Amino acid sequence: MTDEGRVEALERLEVLDAPPEGRFDRVVRLAQQLFDVPVVAVNLLDAHAQHTIAALGMECGSVPLEDSFCAHTIQQSDTLVVPDARLDARFRQTALVAGDPHVRFYAGHPLRAPGGQAIGSLCLASGEPRGFSVTEQRLLGDLATWVEEELVRSDDRLEAEQVQRRLVPRRPLGLEGYDVAGGAAAARSVSGDFYDWQQLPDGFQVVLADVMGKGLTAAILAAGVRAVLRGTSRFNPLTESFGRLAASMAEDLDETGSFVTMFAARLTPETGALDYVDAGHGLAVIIDATASTARLLSSEDLPIGTLDDDTWQTHQDVLAPGETLAVVSDGILDLFDEPWDAVDSGRQLSGMCATAQELVDEILARAAHHVVTDDVTALVVRREA
Amino acid sequence: MSIIEVRTEGRRAVVTGPPRLNMTAAPQLREVLARAVAEGSPQIVVDLGETTFVDSSGLGALVGGLKTARQAGGDLRLAAVSEQVMTVLTLTSLNRVLRPFPTVEDASREW
Repeated sequence: MTDEGRVEALERLEVLDAPPEGRFDRVVRLAQQLFDVPVVAVNLLDAHAQHTIAALGMECGSVPLEDSFCAHTIQQSDTLVVPDARLDARFRQTALVAGDPHVRFYAGHPLRAPGGQAIGSLCLASGEPRGFSVTEQRLLGDLATWVEEELVRSDDRLEAEQVQRRLVPRRPLGLEGYDVAGGAAAARSVSGDFYDWQQLPDGFQVVLADVMGKGLTAAILAAGVRAVLRGTSRFNPLTESFGRLAASMAEDLDETGSFVTMFAARLTPETGALDYVDAGHGLAVIIDATASTARLLSSEDLPIGTLDDDTWQTHQDVLAPGETLAVVSDGILDLFDEPWDAVDSGRQLSGMCATAQELVDEILARAAHHVVTDDVTALVVRREA
Repeated sequence: MSIIEVRTEGRRAVVTGPPRLNMTAAPQLREVLARAVAEGSPQIVVDLGETTFVDSSGLGALVGGLKTARQAGGDLRLAAVSEQVMTVLTLTSLNRVLRPFPTVEDASREW
């Protein structure tokens, strides 16, 4: 095996040192669904070992090259298919076949660095033997190309993604008697959605906003909106904070022809009193403790940036013990015909999820399983019963 | 070739929306609306009779047109809004400013 060129090419990509968080999640998930296999992995091979940098159905980790299927794959120009490893002299004695997890089926397509060196593979595995048609091989090859493109994407966009990932609340809200969680699934590498929370002198604030548009422009505006709101919220009631935010962002929004839909609520923990402003967001809902009813927190206020000198109203509700506030961005509507279907689906999910984080994850997982064209962000606040 | 048609008559303009008013079509609509206002027709009716889908970029273009039209002393109204589009408008409360009328004639009547 000629390692040198490969290892050097791999080092140039700098992916092993800096694990590429989430970059391959979509392709791996898609592969699992397309081929209906339990295990999908993106494996990279250096001089000593195979490193799994993204996977479903197995843990990311490293195995010695002598146990690696992919070490064989990278010797080929095309897909390596092993219909039943137990009947294959090359593999039947290897650790992963003779022992746990008793791999029977394997199919892997080589991944190449920009210089052409095979550096790893996108592979499928199963504990059951199976065939793999020419069409399936071609599909796997297409997905491998996608992984290769992701591998070399070390440009500004990637940096923007990292910056944006840091723009989520750094600490849990630490709100006694409440369970708070948020999360995002970007349709593209960067998004105009964000969620945020902060402790204020007179309560706790949670926010979900969606800057119209996609990509870098929306993301930069979102960072601005977040910063301005964080600053002004500390010193102003909600209504005024929205006014100040709108004034600060007016020119930027005008210039880029964008607007912002935003939901923000202030919670008094002792009583569950919830003051909120909804600027054209429309997708905030309170689900009762038994998940049998859901009420939309409606408002008639416009998105920020629609009109000059607009104002916003504060509305009141109460989050009773056991109730759940769920806010999602409008990307979720790609999954439903009617907003009410989304609300109802959220209600049912809330009944099945024990924690706020679970509910956020479930909402995002539903978005991820569909081909959505917009970003989906979710924020959940649940008051303990 | 443009998929967005414009008919102007003095201060009025009727703009026909594309079938899908999304990220691809929005910049074009934005431009058409800006040009109509610049050329002296700030009373704009956007006919959405053939538009079955609007996303947030599309809304952005309509809001942009509304602002430009109002700055020039006009307004922007919508006509023949489909159910999906109405849902999006209601959700965002934008139906309060992008006022929907049943037909182009209705929308033009009070001007």
